[in-house]
Amino acid sequence: MTSTPHDVIDAAIPLAPDHPLWALRRQRDKVVAATQGSYDAMFSPAVEGLSVSERLLVALHACRVSKADSLAPHYRDRLAAEGADGDVIAAVDAGQPVADARLRAVLAFTGKLIERPIEGDKAAVQSLAASGLSTPAIVAMSQLIAFLSYQIRVAAGLKALVAVEAAA
Amino acid sequence: MTAPIRIKGFTTEVLKWKPWLDTVNVDTATPAQLAALDEMSPQARTSPYFLVLAHQPEILLQRSIAFNAIMFAPGGMPRAERELGATVESRVNGCVYCASVHAQRFEQLARRNDVISQVFEEPEGAGTTEREKAIVEFSIRLGAEPDKVTADDMRKLKDVGLGELEILDLIHSVAIFAWANRLMLNLGEPVFPEAEASDAS
Repeated sequence: MTSTPHDVIDAAIPLAPDHPLWALRRQRDKVVAATQGSYDAMFSPAVEGLSVSERLLVALHACRVSKADSLAPHYRDRLAAEGADGDVIAAVDAGQPVADARLRAVLAFTGKLIERPIEGDKAAVQSLAASGLSTPAIVAMSQLIAFLSYQIRVAAGLKALVAVEAAA
Repeated sequence: MTAPIRIKGFTTEVLKWKPWLDTVNVDTATPAQLAALDEMSPQARTSPYFLVLAHQPEILLQRSIAFNAIMFAPGGMPRAERELGATVESRVNGCVYCASVHAQRFEQLARRNDVISQVFEEPEGAGTTEREKAIVEFSIRLGAEPDKVTADDMRKLKDVGLGELEILDLIHSVAIFAWANRLMLNLGEPVFPEAEASDAS
């Protein structure tokens, strides 16, 4: 059985190893490992073109737009640990515009893809390229936003399962 | 197989997908890129979609492991119902390509497509049995408003006979298509057979 020292989903719910749902999740241990593995890949310093802080701000913005209260604190903590600008974190957290034009464009793209994925169009992708992002960086950013949509739903579903267990 | 369904822009026809970004060239791909493609499926090396995603091999590798484990793992929710959850999420998000692929898989596994016609027409209220209706309703809710999912939603699934592993499988199936739809809708577009035929002429 895989036992990662830190699993972001378990920490967000929270799910301790003595909780019945912790064991339920491990019945799909490949999914648990690849979900954490995806998270690690999304925020890896090896991915070029977007800084780790920029990616964490994308995540915080996605959590705010999706009202994902169980995951937002994780990204807030990581941003602080990363030494990101406190004013920028506070602005993203409050849904206020940020000063940096590139970050503003990235966050606008994030909000749209999280809330209205059908509006994804060629012009939006081309404008990212025009703002200086390479193809691998655009793929990384798209994967990140799409992954966050996944992570937010896994956490929301598990939270509801925990709630029904607690009430039983 | 019966004639393809075509309702409100959604279809069970086999579609192609045209990327808006350049793809990785298989002949010059790195070992990590090839490993990620092969982890996904034997066809991934010829798929424009996966060849775009191969620009980030570690991310594609992890996502491929998750995707295959969610959709194909034995036990738990029957595979046809996982495909139904995937199709509903894709219909709600407006992902014509994903809806086509996974509606076809549902049809292959369940040997019927009545519920697919209903989902394409209007996801709300679709389902041919109480169990199917509950699966569809939950898929819509988790897809559209994850913050509003509560213990009551879980009780509704349990009331129609879903066990906890089946519920977990459904959560994962809907969630992985929240992911897949956003890539498909954002990095390229579906190509219908007739459009391709007229391009070629």
